[in-house]
Amino acid sequence: MNKPIDETSKVAQEPVGSVDPDAIMTDPDDDFRLVALAQQGDTRSYDELVTRHRGRIFAMIRNMIHQEADAWDLSQEVFIKAWHALPKFEAKAKFSTWLYRIAHNTVYDWARKRKIESAGEFNDEIFERERIDSASFTTPSGGEMPDATMANGELRVKIQIALGKLSPDHREVVLLKDVQGLSYKEIAEAMSSTLGTVMSRLFYARQKLQALLKDEYESR
Amino acid sequence: MNTNPDEATLALWLDDELAGADLAAVEGWALTRPEQLAAREEIRRWRATVASAMPAFEEPPYPDFFNSRVLQAIREPAPAVALRARSFSWKSWCMPMAACAGMALTFWAGTKATTTPEYDVAGAPKAIPVEPVVYTPENGVDAEWFASKEASATVIVLKGVAAIPDDTDFSATVYLPAEREIDSTANREVKPAMETEQ
Repeated sequence: MNKPIDETSKVAQEPVGSVDPDAIMTDPDDDFRLVALAQQGDTRSYDELVTRHRGRIFAMIRNMIHQEADAWDLSQEVFIKAWHALPKFEAKAKFSTWLYRIAHNTVYDWARKRKIESAGEFNDEIFERERIDSASFTTPSGGEMPDATMANGELRVKIQIALGKLSPDHREVVLLKDVQGLSYKEIAEAMSSTLGTVMSRLFYARQKLQALLKDEYESR
Repeated sequence: MNTNPDEATLALWLDDELAGADLAAVEGWALTRPEQLAAREEIRRWRATVASAMPAFEEPPYPDFFNSRVLQAIREPAPAVALRARSFSWKSWCMPMAACAGMALTFWAGTKATTTPEYDVAGAPKAIPVEPVVYTPENGVDAEWFASKEASATVIVLKGVAAIPDDTDFSATVYLPAEREIDSTANREVKPAMETEQ
């Protein structure tokens, strides 16, 4: 007796790209289906993926480097690199986690190139608050401005100022955990780090941030 | 749970990342430890504070243009990388030698040429100095041209050109190409050595 063939399930279980069909079926975000299509060259599916994830990637990079124009360009680089690396994506992690990892590498490559171009030592200067675009309305507007900005009561600005005083690794772990809501495991994957290192960085980063935001934090 | 959880498990519990039996075990252990429960509440409060102030999602400016730029970039064919296999054929060493020999022969032949050909240029047309003509793209504008050999200078005077407004922004006419090298590091593990002590 021939069983009726469910065409939809048949399509879903056909191996497409290098994404496991089972992963497609169990993916709550429905990203893997689009990834599988994109791996076959479907740019419309990739366009949909870009639309879904561009906001998180842009917010993450912008909070890392505090420069909107560069964050825009770097976010584009992330998606262009992701497209070229898509054949290697095997859905072992969430697509978004994979993108965060590419974003991590892209930002650090950018910082390294900037440092080489400026012929200085490789340190955290690029990420420093003093380098923040003063024209940006969501970022602090200068070295001597923290007092003024503290007075305006905008918590986001205060947190960004405090984040600017952290090292890039500590800042990134806070952004991924407390802003983007990733788990420890996902952060370790995104930052190519160990679980213990992530836990340690997050612990110290939170301690420092809470100390920097003591007045604001205790009043809430 | 009679024994203390290890540090990793405790960190996961403090950040609400435990589930199932692991969660139940640590919850039981923490019942008699109000300081741990307070620490968890503190972290929850911190996360809520940060999340309320910092958006996790922020559309980039001109989102449609953002997508179209990405699509344009990925549709462009990747630059062909000419991977030339190393070959040790006779051409690889013979051709440079042949080129050097050719150059030496030509130089030798040049030194041996003692006579220079003579041409009768008496009947050739002579160059006539031509007064340069300056064209102006706008009707009603006259141009006069002056040159001074002594001063090594050339001056063109335009008459009838409308005055340039003071608020003209010449910097807007300058084209600055935005160069950014895009490399493929998507699958590369980068571990920057830039962690500093906090």
